[in-house]
Amino acid sequence: MFISKNNILFKVPVIFMIIFFVLPLSLTVVWSVFERTMFWMEPGFTLFSYENFFFSARLENFVVSMLHSSVSVFCSFLIGFPIAIFIRRRVKKIAQHRVMLLFILPFMVSEIIRIFALRPILSRNGVLNDLLINFGFIDSPISAFVFTPTGVVIGEIVSFLPFMIFSTFLALEAIPNYIFEVCSDLGVNRRKMFADIYLPLAAPGLFAGSVFIFVNGIGIALIPTILGGPGSVNAGLIATQAIIALDFPLAMAVSAIMMCTLMGLLYIGHRLFNLTKLLEPIS
Amino acid sequence: MANKNAIEVKNLVKTYGDVYALNNVNLNIAEGEYFVLLGPSGGGKTTLLRSIGGFIRPDSGNVSIKGNNVDNLPPDKRPTSMVFQGFALFPHMSVSQNIGYGLKLKSIAKEIIISKVNKMMDLVGLTGLSNRMPHELSGGQQQRVQLARALILENDVLLLDEPLSALDAQLRKDMCIELKRLQKTVGITFVHVTHNQEEAMSVADRIAIIADGEMIEEGTPQEIYSNPKNKFTAEFIGENNIFTGLITELNKNSITVDIIEDQINILNKNYNVKKNQKVSLSVKSESIEIGINKKVTDKVNKLQGKVTEITFLGQFVRYLILLKNGQEIQVRTSHESKNIKLNDNVSLSWDLEDFLLHEK
Repeated sequence: MFISKNNILFKVPVIFMIIFFVLPLSLTVVWSVFERTMFWMEPGFTLFSYENFFFSARLENFVVSMLHSSVSVFCSFLIGFPIAIFIRRRVKKIAQHRVMLLFILPFMVSEIIRIFALRPILSRNGVLNDLLINFGFIDSPISAFVFTPTGVVIGEIVSFLPFMIFSTFLALEAIPNYIFEVCSDLGVNRRKMFADIYLPLAAPGLFAGSVFIFVNGIGIALIPTILGGPGSVNAGLIATQAIIALDFPLAMAVSAIMMCTLMGLLYIGHRLFNLTKLLEPIS
Repeated sequence: MANKNAIEVKNLVKTYGDVYALNNVNLNIAEGEYFVLLGPSGGGKTTLLRSIGGFIRPDSGNVSIKGNNVDNLPPDKRPTSMVFQGFALFPHMSVSQNIGYGLKLKSIAKEIIISKVNKMMDLVGLTGLSNRMPHELSGGQQQRVQLARALILENDVLLLDEPLSALDAQLRKDMCIELKRLQKTVGITFVHVTHNQEEAMSVADRIAIIADGEMIEEGTPQEIYSNPKNKFTAEFIGENNIFTGLITELNKNSITVDIIEDQINILNKNYNVKKNQKVSLSVKSESIEIGINKKVTDKVNKLQGKVTEITFLGQFVRYLILLKNGQEIQVRTSHESKNIKLNDNVSLSWDLEDFLLHEK
């Protein structure tokens, strides 16, 4: 090891990660097999919580929320990546970070308020429907914008889109300008530019943004609570509901399952796309 | 009519705000020539190269390549390829993918691309490295990949924008030799931008000196080095000492210039000058002979001075001499000679024809 033994500074992050990350997550798994008591839990070993999860509507809700989350990731990619490319290529260098700042501004308002503020926009008599009717795109208001899975997806995109833009912009920013000049010298058209240059070179950013949005999509209970209908539940909401019902082992089990699912997905992603190569630094 | 000029640049102007990057530049580059644009940084040489390549749109003026006006063509539609300053390779593609990418874009059959790429790799000296990634290559190898990527498109002109500036001195020397060899082999026109005069001298058939957005002077390396017409060229190329003064005497054979405290007599090579005109003189530091001062001789072509610095440069020794008029000049000799020490009074002499006169 090149890190000297007595250099405490290097150990701080490790200690921090153990206390605040590894330990609680391990405890989550341990607690998930504990016996439930009236107000807390007691040591023991039972798979009752897992049974409770897998043989109920919770499993279906969990899978559906992953699907919705995937849709959010995909839509964020479709909207966010072109925005990042536009900022990288068309906005003057000096203004690029200022434009980025614009996307940070919404975060100065609490998330619960931002999400809640979408209701009057998306509702049946909301601004969006009014606009669509006034411009003649539709005849009668669409009620599916809110209190439906669509509402949840819209909420997730609105909330998390900046992360896709940030992470892909940062990846694109690392591409030296020479690369674009070489492309114009060789005559790379738009389609090829996207497939051969932007996509592979921004892959680490796309990966980071996608993971972030996916994890938050299944984990943040706020969005389905406010924008989803009665049946709209994601993993975060399942866990929250379990905590409210004082079923702590179940909440822990849901968290453990979430972790395992993500690790499983990462593994599959790694086998398919070789993440090590994807995340190699460019230069 | 056969057009012998590969590139014709006419009255090219490019401004950035109030600054003229190119101020009415005219230039002709012959076919099959290794042409170097040499000049200090920020002088406009890269702007000129990029205007030829189509990366910069000039404010006015024309660029023709092989007799065809290319003013309205984008870089990829011009018969030029560019080699960039930095290591501008696609970081996610292997050596062979980088080289073949231009052909792939033209939907050329895979087998043809592979054979062409292999040929190109042999030509630029990258044999056996086809599967390496750019970050696994040395700086010199990366520039070879750039060369191959540009040459494989078989365009008429190769533009090189400070291609060797990121390489260390030894590698730069080697690459100069290779570039020259490569240009002879492929036979196309090379236009090479550099601020390094040694690099320029070693590769160029002809050199243009570009500074402050203007074409100062052009000629073969020999002409530019031994007979610079312009004061700027004399200052920039080689190690010249510049004197300024007034012409006091003028006849068919010689001109006498008063440089305050001293006078210098030079050969009149049909200079178009008048008496009392202010002119500059230049003399190469290696053309001056240095000797221990014995006695002030009657010859006009001798200056007296005091040694203020001695620098040993391996092959040469360089002396800094303070003249009577307060000017410091450099003298370079190939041998550390005659026990000249710091603060010695020395006399300097030269042949009449060594001094050149510059009106500007």
